[in-house]
Amino acid sequence: MELSRSAGVPSAGVALIALAAAALPLVTRDSYYLDVATTILMNLTLTMSFRLQVSTGQINMAHISFMGIGAYASALLVTRVGLSFWATLWIGPLVAAALAVPIGSVALRVSGPYYFLITFAFSEVVRLFFNNFFEGLFGGPSGLVGIPKPDRLLGLAFDGKLELYGLMAVLCVGVALALVRLDHSRFGLTAGAIRQADLLAETLGVNVFRYKLTTFVLGSFIAGLAGVFFAHFRRVLHSSDFGLEPMVLLVVFTVIGGTGSVWGPVVGTILMTIASELLRELHHYEILVFGAVLILTMLFAPEGLVALPGTARRLLRRLRGRAPAAAGVGLAP
Amino acid sequence: MLLELRGVSRRFGGLLAVADLSMTVAGGAIHGLIGPNGAGKSTVFNLITGVIPLTAGEVFFKGERTSGLRPSEICRRGIARTFQATTLFREYTVLQNVLVAAHLVTTPGLASALFWSRPYRERERRARDRGRTLLEALGLGPVASQVADTLPHRDQKALALTMVLATGAELVILDEPMAGLAAQEKAETTSVLRRLREQGVTVLLVEHDMKAVMGVCDTVTVLDHGVRIAEGTPREIQTNPAVIEAYLGADEPGA
Ligand SMILES: Nc1ncnc2c1ncn2[C@@H]1O[C@H](COP(=O)(O)OP(=O)(O)O)[C@@H](O)[C@H]1O
Ligand SMILES: [Mg+2]
Repeated sequence: MELSRSAGVPSAGVALIALAAAALPLVTRDSYYLDVATTILMNLTLTMSFRLQVSTGQINMAHISFMGIGAYASALLVTRVGLSFWATLWIGPLVAAALAVPIGSVALRVSGPYYFLITFAFSEVVRLFFNNFFEGLFGGPSGLVGIPKPDRLLGLAFDGKLELYGLMAVLCVGVALALVRLDHSRFGLTAGAIRQADLLAETLGVNVFRYKLTTFVLGSFIAGLAGVFFAHFRRVLHSSDFGLEPMVLLVVFTVIGGTGSVWGPVVGTILMTIASELLRELHHYEILVFGAVLILTMLFAPEGLVALPGTARRLLRRLRGRAPAAAGVGLAP
Repeated sequence: MLLELRGVSRRFGGLLAVADLSMTVAGGAIHGLIGPNGAGKSTVFNLITGVIPLTAGEVFFKGERTSGLRPSEICRRGIARTFQATTLFREYTVLQNVLVAAHLVTTPGLASALFWSRPYRERERRARDRGRTLLEALGLGPVASQVADTLPHRDQKALALTMVLATGAELVILDEPMAGLAAQEKAETTSVLRRLREQGVTVLLVEHDMKAVMGVCDTVTVLDHGVRIAEGTPREIQTNPAVIEAYLGADEPGA
């Protein structure tokens, strides 16, 4: 957020992600690894957009619902209306963003724990809606099935893992580029100011509500984008895909990496998605493991893993500063 | 009149912190607001800047009603304030603090922030230059890249003042800008206030240092238990029996 830095520096980090993503198929084309890598990129899109909202001090527990809205919108528009995936790739996120305007306007009237609760309540309403209503449309408890893969674009078929991986990589890098730029711009500076002292920002002329709503809507658009991809990647949707459990994972992924910069979610998501794959055997208990990891992070690295070197340095300096004084007191063990 | 309060009241539960207060602040003046601790001075500032809602009454700025507006909108109309407990964006550098404060004057839209166009970068450069100039003027040039939280008290006070000026406000409201400062630093703040008056910026000031208030203010309003008990030139105020009574009756003389 150091505004004096040039445009090149933050973008270089994104270039690194792009390079790593492009290099993977050269190393392996094993469909399992491609699947995991695609999931990492999809999760990354979600966690980065979640952090955008955290950067103004909002913990939006309905973030996953906007992914769901994008997913169901695209699935239905393709299967029922016959639209092309390449059209719904834009329409899905727009639907999510459009719904985010009234929902955000209501939720952002409150803050702190009330905001947390109101967004959580909303996410449950959305989940129950997909599960219990219009069963003919949303598929009810058995899910919405038969969602096709993306159709051909410019003569390119999207029926293999590699093509889907490539598409997700392009989407993810595009989102990362936009978010890094935003973070390092005046917009990001003001967002961070709101998180540190919202009343001060407001009295200095920052319309805090409008800023928060902007990040809410933009974040929902990106979540919707991830949702559209998710629908045509998994090709079946269940309401529980957008329920509390994946939402908690989303929070854990983001917080473990750290919310101080866009790099926190990157580190957290890559590590945790891989961990999640390794813990697959544990099924629903994996959330217990993640809970424990979250608590440990909160205790020992409250600013997240990416801030760990700095935190450790500060801690060491403090310990060294304190050591002689402690010795001087001479408390016998 | 630049600022006008008409029958402004504010109740906190059973306590009437500000009671039917009417007062005006003339454009271009340094106007002092004094009174014993708990008289309601900070509450009056909160009411003017929209930080808390009024129980009754109205506030007008440049003839337009501002009571009921969001604080950001009131700032946009030209009123900016400091807080009694100095508040800063603690994790940001001094320059970043000023850049946030200059938001209204220089902030580009979301789209140009996304695309980092040439005009956007040009505007960013100008905003930084403007921030640096302001910091130099307030003596904070050497600490521009220091994190706000690590500044000594006096620099934090100076930064809060700089940020208020960076908004480009016509009316600047300062809640105890000299609290905790040494005599030399108080004198510097006083000269900044005089310079502001020369530039046509109006100042509304709460300050406990009576010598400073009487030395710099054109007009002084005295508040006691939320009620206006006197108003006039510093000379008139110093000899007003009601004022002397209020201060002698207070727990903290001279406060
Ligand atoms: N947010 C609040 N809630 C309840 N009482 C308050 C609040 N703010 C101020 N007060 C009370 O209002 C009175 C005036 O306070 P204040 O305006 O801070 O006085 P001053 O700035 O003149 O010292 C005090 O009695 C104070 O306790
Ligand atoms: Mg006060």
